[in-house]
Amino acid sequence: MKKMINYVMLAASMTAGMVASANANDLQKLLEQVKNDRISEASIDKKREAEFTAARADKQALLNKAKAQLKAEQERNKRLTKEYAQNEITLAQKAVELDTAEGTLGEMFGVSRAAAADAYGAISTSIVSAEYPGRGDILNEIANAKEIPELEQLEELWFALQTEMTQSGEVSQFTTEVTNLDGTKSTETITRIGTFNLVSDNGYLTYNDEVGQVQPLAKQPAGFITETASSFFNTTSGYTELYVDPSRGAILTLETRKKTLEEFYHQGGTVGYAITVLLIIGLLIALERLIVLGSVSSKIKAQQKNLDQPNENNPLGRLLVVYNENKNADAETLELKLDEAILRETPKVDRGINLIKMFAAIAPLMGLLGTVIGMILTFQTITLFGTGDPKIMAGNISLALVTTALGLIAALPLILVHSVVAGRSKSVLHKLDEQSAGLIAEIAEKESK
Amino acid sequence: MLFLIELIESVRSFIATGGNVLYFVAFALLMMWILMIERYWFLASTYPKLREEIIAKWDARADTTSWYAHRIRDTWISEAAELLERNMITIKTLVAMCPLIGLLGTVTGMISVFETMAQQGTGNPRLMASGISMATIPTMAGMVAALSGVFFSSRLDAKVKLAKAKLVDSLPHH
Repeated sequence: MKKMINYVMLAASMTAGMVASANANDLQKLLEQVKNDRISEASIDKKREAEFTAARADKQALLNKAKAQLKAEQERNKRLTKEYAQNEITLAQKAVELDTAEGTLGEMFGVSRAAAADAYGAISTSIVSAEYPGRGDILNEIANAKEIPELEQLEELWFALQTEMTQSGEVSQFTTEVTNLDGTKSTETITRIGTFNLVSDNGYLTYNDEVGQVQPLAKQPAGFITETASSFFNTTSGYTELYVDPSRGAILTLETRKKTLEEFYHQGGTVGYAITVLLIIGLLIALERLIVLGSVSSKIKAQQKNLDQPNENNPLGRLLVVYNENKNADAETLELKLDEAILRETPKVDRGINLIKMFAAIAPLMGLLGTVIGMILTFQTITLFGTGDPKIMAGNISLALVTTALGLIAALPLILVHSVVAGRSKSVLHKLDEQSAGLIAEIAEKESK
Repeated sequence: MLFLIELIESVRSFIATGGNVLYFVAFALLMMWILMIERYWFLASTYPKLREEIIAKWDARADTTSWYAHRIRDTWISEAAELLERNMITIKTLVAMCPLIGLLGTVTGMISVFETMAQQGTGNPRLMASGISMATIPTMAGMVAALSGVFFSSRLDAKVKLAKAKLVDSLPHH
């Protein structure tokens, strides 16, 4: 084994010896080359050195020149600093001079600036700006200016204030662009009442100072208020009534948030509608009863005047017919026959009256049902959102109350109508029940004489 | 004259704080009292004459015991009773309606309280106070109106019943 390794080693050393003899020639060449390069670099160095030496004199001249320049600039700096200091003093002197020259006027300029700022706030939001746009810009300029205002600007301020003052006492009509609620723009003629309201044919308008646009109110106030606005707009002479918002729009804005009666009604929801249906049906029944009972009692009255000729179209007439048929029977039989006939008539007369009474009783109960539903919803809201915000709860509470109110509103007329109808039917029944027998008895007595 | 103006002013401010429901209470109260006064007037002046007439007519009759006479007597009593009882149902209904109208005022007042709450929150109790007064004043007014009617209407009812009973008593079978 060892022998074998020795052989391998021998073979390897022989191979290496052959490679070394092959490279020896290349190294010789490299050496030659390095030698040559050294000679050529030395010559270049020499050449550059010669150049530097030549340039040196020039550079010295440049340095001297730069130094001179520096000195000159330093001189100038000193002079300018001095001048600056001098100017500062002069400036201070001039400022003092200006102050003395301004005298009490300085105070006035301050006041005018403050006045301009105030006026800008008032005038840019005023509805007069809808008629005379762009009045605020100059005021804003005066209010924010650092310099002393010019005479012209002061005149503008005075003019703007005077315009506002004069226009606040005037009613004027002008044409302007109105941005409608759906975003479209139209040119309309509107009437301005002082600084209070803008009025058009359709009611009240507002002036949005942020975008400088005239817009209709999101929701007009109650009908009778809006009507005065329209009629005022259409009046050409004389006097007319008008609701004016003295808070310059704040009340009208609140008014838009107020719910109308219709909205309140719809808050009642399904229960509210059911109560309405109940009320309508009840009133219709009552109306039908009133008409029927009215015609019946008038026919009975006519029959009472004409007892000899019984007419089949009324209860009394039918009773008379029964009497005529049983004229010859004894009193007891006649009474029985009459009672029978009256019993037939009674249901026709008091039909539906108990239904009205029942409706009158049901309506408040349904209101109560709405209340309970509303309260359940309220408590549900409380479970979800807590009691932190009363505004969230208030919605359902108003549902609860609106249905109660609707129930009462439906019950009251139904009760009243029931009492009227019941009174009518009672009098007809009295006529049939208690008085018809007497009438017949009178007839019988007359005939027997 | 000044006294009257003061009175009108106080009524106006009362209605302003109590809300429009008070008009309904006032209407019901007015109707109720007109009807009651008419009843009292009828009982005091018209009815005695009617009664005399009926009694005289009955006394003039020869036959007062037959079946026919009974029916005729019943008819006369019934006619008189109808006149006596006219509008009594309406009066009683109006008396019963007054507290209900007051209750309606309570509910509408509470609605306005909650509307204020929904808009402005509960921060300012002063804003809610107007709704609360609108809730309480009609209730009180309705109660007062009903109370004023209850006593007189029940008195009137008793009077009518008494008058009817007396009429029945004064038509004897002779």
